[in-house]
Parts: sequence; C-alpha cells; structure tokens
Amino acid sequence: MAKPKGITVAQTTAILISSIIGVGVLRLPLTAVQAGDTGAPLVTLLGVSVASVGVWVVAKLSMRFPNQSIIEYSEVILGKWLGRLYGFLMIAFFIILTGLGAREFGEVVVTAVLKETPIEVIVIVMLFMATMFVRHDLHTFAYIHSFYVPFILAPTLIIIVLSLKNANPLYLQPVFGNELNINAMLYGVLIVASLFQTGFIVSLIFPAMEKPEKAMKAGMWGIAVTSVLYVMVVVAILAVFGPEEVKKLNWPTLELTRATSFPGKILQRLDVVFLAIWVTAVFTTIFSGYMFTIRSLSQLLKLRDHKLFSMFFLPIFFVIAMVPENVMQMYKIIETVGAWGLVITIAPIFLLITAKARKLPAKRSGA
Amino acid sequence: MLKKSICTFCVILLCLPLLSGCWDSLDIEKSATILGIAIDKVESGDAQETGKITHFDEDDLTEEMIRLTAQISVPGRIPLGPETGGGGGEQEPVWVLRAIGHTIDDAMLNLQQELADEIFLGHLRIIVVSEEIAREGVERFNDFLRRQPEVRRTTWMVVSKEEAARYMEVAPKLERVPGLYVTAMVDNAVDLGKFPNDFAGIFWSHLSSKGQDGYLPYLKIKDEDNIEIEGLSYFKGEKMIGVIDPIEIGLFMGAINQKQGGYGAFIQVPDTKERVLVRAERRNTKTKTAIKDGKPEVHLRIRYEGEIEEKTVGNINIDDPKIIQKIEKQATKETTAALKKLIAKLQEEESDIFGFGERIRAEHPSYWNKQVKTKENWHNIYKDIDIHVEMTTHIRRVGMKEK
Repeated sequence: MAKPKGITVAQTTAILISSIIGVGVLRLPLTAVQAGDTGAPLVTLLGVSVASVGVWVVAKLSMRFPNQSIIEYSEVILGKWLGRLYGFLMIAFFIILTGLGAREFGEVVVTAVLKETPIEVIVIVMLFMATMFVRHDLHTFAYIHSFYVPFILAPTLIIIVLSLKNANPLYLQPVFGNELNINAMLYGVLIVASLFQTGFIVSLIFPAMEKPEKAMKAGMWGIAVTSVLYVMVVVAILAVFGPEEVKKLNWPTLELTRATSFPGKILQRLDVVFLAIWVTAVFTTIFSGYMFTIRSLSQLLKLRDHKLFSMFFLPIFFVIAMVPENVMQMYKIIETVGAWGLVITIAPIFLLITAKARKLPAKRSGA
Repeated sequence: MLKKSICTFCVILLCLPLLSGCWDSLDIEKSATILGIAIDKVESGDAQETGKITHFDEDDLTEEMIRLTAQISVPGRIPLGPETGGGGGEQEPVWVLRAIGHTIDDAMLNLQQELADEIFLGHLRIIVVSEEIAREGVERFNDFLRRQPEVRRTTWMVVSKEEAARYMEVAPKLERVPGLYVTAMVDNAVDLGKFPNDFAGIFWSHLSSKGQDGYLPYLKIKDEDNIEIEGLSYFKGEKMIGVIDPIEIGLFMGAINQKQGGYGAFIQVPDTKERVLVRAERRNTKTKTAIKDGKPEVHLRIRYEGEIEEKTVGNINIDDPKIIQKIEKQATKETTAALKKLIAKLQEEESDIFGFGERIRAEHPSYWNKQVKTKENWHNIYKDIDIHVEMTTHIRRVGMKEK
C-alpha cells in the first residue's frame, strides 16, 4: 500500500469534536448540577480544563514521537512489558467505554422513542454500522468525522439559542452554587472530565497527521469547540429548568429539546430533530472507540492491518453493553469506569515526565 | 460451495435487523390520540366502577380516586383546513371517554382497557385539573407526566372552577375541536399580554424551585359553551390555595417583569367624577433585593407605559398635558395601592408566585444558605419581609381623538 497523504489539522479537530460529543451530552447537565447546583457551568468548565490537560499531554508526546502512536511509544518509554501492560489497559478501557456507550444509546432510544423495539436490536445495529466502517483506513475515518461535524454542531447550537427564550438568568446564580460541597464538586469535575475520554482517540490520529508538529493546535481547537458547546448546553439547561428541576430529569438535554419549539409553530417540538443529530453524534463516538480498540490492538500485537479484528469485537462490545440490568445500574457502572479511566487517560503525564527525564526521542528518532 | 452458502446465510442474518423496518410503526388511524385530559375527584358513588386492571386487591391502595376524562381525536374527522361544504358537520371530531383510577396512570390503564387502539399522548395539548383536586395537590400527576416520554413540556395545565370534565365537551364556535380551543385560549392570552407564559414545563420548574411557588390559569365556563379566564390560581408548594382576579394578573405580570401589557383599568380623573380607561402597553420592572438587619428586603421599581383608550361621557377634556400628568399620578397611586394589597395578600397566604425567594437565593447565597435552605423556611420568612413598590406611569397616547 502506498503511503497515503496525512490527515490535516482541520480533520484532526473534527475527529476530536465528533468523538467527544456523544451519549454523554444527554446526562452531562444532570451530573454537573448534582455536583455544583447553580455552579454547574463552573463544574463543567473545570471538568473541561482537566480534560484539556489530558489532550495537551498527548499532543506533547505525539510531537516528541511524531511517527508513533501511544501504544508504540509507551513501550519505548516504559520498557517493553510495562508499556504493553499500559497499552492493554487502555484497550480494555476503550472496549468497556464503547460497549457502555452503545448501551446508554440504546437505553435512551428505547425509553424515549422506540418503545417497542428490543434494546438488543438497537445496540447491535449501531455496533454493526460501526463495524462496517472500521474496516476502512484512517483517511476514510477522518472523512466520515469531518463530514458529520457540521451536522452535529449547527443544529445543537440552534436548539440552544431557541431554548433561551424560556431562560431565567436567576437560575444561573450564584455562580458557585448554593450548597457548595467541595468534595461533591470535585467528584463532579472528574465525572465531567471523564466524558471527554473518547478524545483520547487523537493519540491514534496524531501520528497519521500530515504535519505532526501541528498536533497541539488541532488538539486545543478540538477541546475548545467541544467545551464551548458543553458549557453552553449546561448554561441553557440550567437557565431554562432551574437547578431543582434538572435534578429530577434523567436526560436534561433531551428534555430541553422537548420544551423548545421552533418559532412560528413550524416545529412544535424539537426532540425529533435533536434525536436525529444525536444518533449521528453517538455513531461517531462509538465508531471512534471501535477504531481505537482495533487499531491499538493491532499495533500492540505488531500486526500490519487492523481489519482482522473488526468483526471479532462486535460480540464483545455487545456483551458488555448487555451487562447492566437497568439504567440506574448502568450509570453507576459508567461513573465508576469513567473515574478509573481517568487514571488511564491521565497516565500520559507520567509518560511525558519519564520521556523528558530519559531524553528519549532524541536517541530513537526514526525508530 | 458450502463456504459460499454459509457466507450468504451470514449476510442474510446480519441484514435482518437492518431491513426489518420500523418495529414501532403505529398508523395514525390505529392510535387513540388524546388531545386533552381532565382530572376530577370521584364522587363516592362512582368508586366501584373500576375493574381489577392494575391492582390485585382494592384495599391495598390508599390513594384517593380520581376521574380522568380524555378527549380522543377521531381519525379523519379532525378538519385540516377551513370547512368546505356543510356535509361533515354532523360527525363529532372527538370522542370523550371517562375512566377512574387511584392515580393518573391507573386511570390511563383503565381507559386503555376499554379502548381498542393504543393511547398516544404525543399530541396532548391541555390538562384541566379541577379546583378540588388542585387544592389537594398536583404533584401526584406530575410524576407520571414527567416520566411519560410522549408528553410535551409545552402542554398547558389549567385549573377549572367547576368540574374539569365539562371542558372536554364545551364546543365554542371558533374551534371545531374543543380541547384545542382551551389551548388556543391560554396561548392567545399569553400573546395578548393577559397571562404570563406558563406552560406545564415552566410550572413544574416553579414547583421544584425552592424560592418560588407555581401558578396556573384559572378557567370558568360561561353560558354553557364558552370559557373565560377567571383569574390566576396560586399555589403554596404543590397545593393550590387561592385565586386572584384578572386585573391583578396584570399587576402580577408587572411585578415579575413581563413586558407586554394587556390589561386596562379605569382611572379616576382627579377633581372630577369621570374616569378614563388607561391600558398598559409596556411594563418594565427592576427588582432589587437586599438583606437589612438579617431580613431580606425587596424593592420593585415598575415603569408603566400606557394609552388612554376611552373616557366616560362627560365634560372634562383630556387635551391638556397637565391633566394627563394628573391622570398619570392618579394611575400610579391606584395601581401601587392595588399591587401592595395583592402582595400583602399573597404574603399572608405564603405563596411566593413572584419568585422573590429565587432572587434571594441567587443574589444573597450566604444568607440563603444560613437562614433559608428549604422551601418551608422560605415560606415562613417570606410572610414578613418588606416589599417596597415604586411605580411610575407614562401615558404616551390618547388615540385618534383630540378631546
């Protein structure tokens, strides 16, 4: 195979945006409000900052090892076995994350829209669609993502703006929240940060970039766009419902679209529009998780091609998706997994420090 | 060969979920689309009516019975445009059904038991709750309505003076579908500045808020088949406790900074016995809160802009700016007094529909966190806080007549 042209900065940004925005956006406001009351936007902002540190570190590392992915350079930095262990943990984490993401998606669809359809069918169709697409290379991957990004961002923005006519700015005050509880708040920050974990996919993309030295730029733009969007979602929902009402809702973002109508009575409820976009957003997220899993695994096993695994993982994701008994248990698991996952996604900081200490890339450039 | 057929089999198997079409497809004529529901109390005699549909043993349920009256649209008979010809007039566009139950969902399930088609609530536009029920508390309905994914938050909830079921059957001439008329009534009242925008979603938010109480339109049936907005029912917590008059809704809207004015009031022209009708066109309100000596204080500064629409027959001319000024002063005096009276009444009944508590919570969090914290506490404090009202009235227009 001829060496393909690299992935551009804009494409990397798009991949980052559409990978991060996924199922989590439906519950994000609830998590943030539970943690910070009216301080929810602040919690979100802090969560975003934690996440952006993660992306910053990965970008730094990628600039040090321009031709290697995180699986490969962690072996270089930590040594063969430790590095492999880390790689393995990362893959395992992404498998669970993707499986649970598919489940969360199914759960929302079955509760809110397709009440008759078995959840298994919804989950498997979504996973199957991702399976079809992961067989392609990173370029197709990048194209698919950059194609969908506008369809995810634009309608979401429109819904936010339209919903603001029912907003009450009092609900946004005080900015630190009424019952400030530092522990709850910090926990909330971590949970919000864990929503950004699919952004870790960039560690896979950076080495394939046309100009790896621009990795930082792409990473920071991606994080900036998603965080602005997430903070806006939280602000809009808090201002429309008020903190106490948000706490009563399972998926506040979905509820917002149900309380918003298009002016002129063209569309009296926007949830239909929103769900269509949201399906796309979830697809791109699952797609990324899937891609990360099989690409990383093939790198870990030093295989030339990742297509081999595409079908192999479908049942694994499916089984993981079916583990939780109900929504409440599912969210408990997702929270726990997310919190543990932070350890994995924060670990690159140690990689970076070790790499700096051992002055690694200089010795092995071109490896 | 074998390999090939296995392959084909796999492909077919995988295509099954993709090609099976919509599992949830529900034809419009096969669903019972409910446009409006009314909730009433069950008179003791009716209680035995229900079959054993949602419970094994009647005695286990302590919840009081309610009667649900639903208006179901009849497919094909809802006119989509202006009526052409007189033929279709005989058929009723809706069908009204009743069911009783211990809770709203119980009643729904009982209703489903006597209905061939599946109930669909996606087009529910109006929920009429009778005053009797509203006074006992509405939170027991809200749970179902929030959980049900088909119900929109933009549905209106209203309180009715008489039996709510009657609203499902009144058929005003303006609208062929009775339920939609009630919806149009409240929707248009919002557009005309006669009622603050307060669909169910907003009402629920108010109920949940720690520093605010909810309010709903209060309707009354007039002359058998017409409906009137009789006032605004205010709540304390989840219970309705009283009604204020329509003219007071205007004052209330002033206090919560709803800009569009819709009400007019007769104002006595000073030094005469004549009156002019001054209509509020726009209001602008600035609310300030403060904590003084450990007690919250609210300052309302309301600016009215109005128009003289009519004067009672008499000799007085209103072409003199000085007289207009006097009228402005008089209007200010009268409205201020009326608003103060309204506020005092609501304070006494501990219903903070103005949301002053929310303001204190937002603007003085340290006070709120130490002294208030819960809605009950707020009600106690709200009772005797000072609320100052400062008003100005500006008359901008007198219409097209000189004198």
